[in-house]
Amino acid sequence: MTSNKLTVAVLGAGTMGAGIALVAARGGHRTLLRDVSDETVQRGLDTVASFLRRSQSLGKLTQEQADAAIANLSGTTDLQDVAPADVVIEAVFEDLELKKSLLAELDDVVSRDTLFHTNTSTLSVTSIASGSRHPERVVGTHYCNPAQLMKLVEVAEGRHTAAEATRRSLEFLDSVGKTTVITKDRPGFILNRFLIPWENNCIRALEAGLGTVESIDRAVVGALRHPMGPFQLLDVVGLDVHKAVSMRLYEQLREPRFAPPPLVDRMIAAGDLGRKTGRGFYTYDSTRSFGA
Amino acid sequence: MRSFQRVAVLGFGTMGSGIAQVVAASGRDVVVLETDQERLGHGSSAVQDFLDDGVRRGKATEADRDETLARITGTTVVVDLAGVDLVIEAVSERQDIKVELLGRVAEVVGEETVLATNTSALSVTDLAGHLARPERMAGLHFFNPAPVMALVEVVRALQTDGDVVTDLVAFVEAIGKSPVEVKDRPGFLVNRLLMPYLNDVVQEYDNELASAEDIDVAIQLGLGYKLGPLALLDLIGIDVHRHATEAAYETTLDPQFAPPPLLSQMVAAGYLGNKSGRGFRVGTEHGEVR
Repeated sequence: MTSNKLTVAVLGAGTMGAGIALVAARGGHRTLLRDVSDETVQRGLDTVASFLRRSQSLGKLTQEQADAAIANLSGTTDLQDVAPADVVIEAVFEDLELKKSLLAELDDVVSRDTLFHTNTSTLSVTSIASGSRHPERVVGTHYCNPAQLMKLVEVAEGRHTAAEATRRSLEFLDSVGKTTVITKDRPGFILNRFLIPWENNCIRALEAGLGTVESIDRAVVGALRHPMGPFQLLDVVGLDVHKAVSMRLYEQLREPRFAPPPLVDRMIAAGDLGRKTGRGFYTYDSTRSFGA
Repeated sequence: MRSFQRVAVLGFGTMGSGIAQVVAASGRDVVVLETDQERLGHGSSAVQDFLDDGVRRGKATEADRDETLARITGTTVVVDLAGVDLVIEAVSERQDIKVELLGRVAEVVGEETVLATNTSALSVTDLAGHLARPERMAGLHFFNPAPVMALVEVVRALQTDGDVVTDLVAFVEAIGKSPVEVKDRPGFLVNRLLMPYLNDVVQEYDNELASAEDIDVAIQLGLGYKLGPLALLDLIGIDVHRHATEAAYETTLDPQFAPPPLLSQMVAAGYLGNKSGRGFRVGTEHGEVR
């Protein structure tokens, strides 16, 4: 663990961005959460604060720890405010051009030795890094959702990433309590590379009549002791999200098993996106999101 | 509705002993057929060890253990199986051996006795096709270790009578397991899903996506699985998985079942996983297996 207090900027105050900002602030770093609208920034800061207070009331954090984490955190809409950052973590929408142009803009804002972390799940770290004039400082760091609860971060170097940038990144991730695995810059890294064909295969087995939604989930949980069955997981993830991730991997790998089976499109067309719409493979009596 | 109070188990290996134990623990009488006394002794001690461990860990009383053990008898003579209501076959995963044995057992037991096979890699329909009255044959696929794993696949062959499936589903529930009714297709349901995933991981590991440990850690922490895929392969046995996925490939010609070359290399080198002390994770402290 490093005792160094760093300045960390998180770009994008959505679910992933807010979760990552929480991790950095709780890990003892000055943390700046940036998004384009005041409203989004405020919503992100509120989410972080209320999670930290809940951790306190559950006894996971002392009041001093929660106070310190909240004091570490501030928000902005001005990209210039990111200037003093030692580490910039981008967690904006999963769009290659958007991420590239953001890194290009940042080149003119921060100092030469600022690290750039990209929290992409399915895009190429090398491609994103090509947006910066200094791709050697760009490292892929893929957090799992929710970032404040999941310990894993997949770390991937782009073709031009400097070994020193990776070393500093691993040190930072260790300082915020994450467990890291090193993977190549290939579509889906480790998790999505294996999860997506698995899920698609389960959907195809369902379509082939090898089992029902319930029997396949029960079989997987009963025989493989997974924490939930494939269809329960797809309902949590959302069918629209599953399709988007599948398509991005399929476009890069061009292997049919990554392509979402037709049932996914049918369910999306019907508005059956999973828990968030109250119906997916299962029907839910409440549309509150999982774990909320 | 048959409740199958007297059950024969064919084979007292890992699966046979686990199945005999589970069935006996539900209060049923079990007779186990093996080829010789030594194998019978080996199977009995496996059951005894498992139950002793349960008593030590407070999961069962000594009385429970003794009752379960007392309900299991061993024999080397097929004639001793006369009068059982259900036969569960758990011998070597070879079609010729299973067909020959099931044929002999079918002649001894009653016409109404249900015959079930615990095969994971062979076609139940094909095995049934070699028997007189194939409609009384089905698959009853337990997972290893049988006393621990909750799920049992009840496999409906093309010839299987509907009542046989219904009664076996009820039987699985009665012995405290969770039944799932499946079609007789390669890998049935669970292995049909598991084999392509494991093959995919092995090939990507061989392609140096990440280290064996990092792949397992990512899957365990990221997806919450109890075991990473490579540790799971070490547990299953590299040879066992390769045999199963090869069989599924031969039947389907579907490339997702084709065993990645590294599996065959590991089998050739004697790296079979936990049982040989060397596999993907086990015995690799000084480097990767690939």
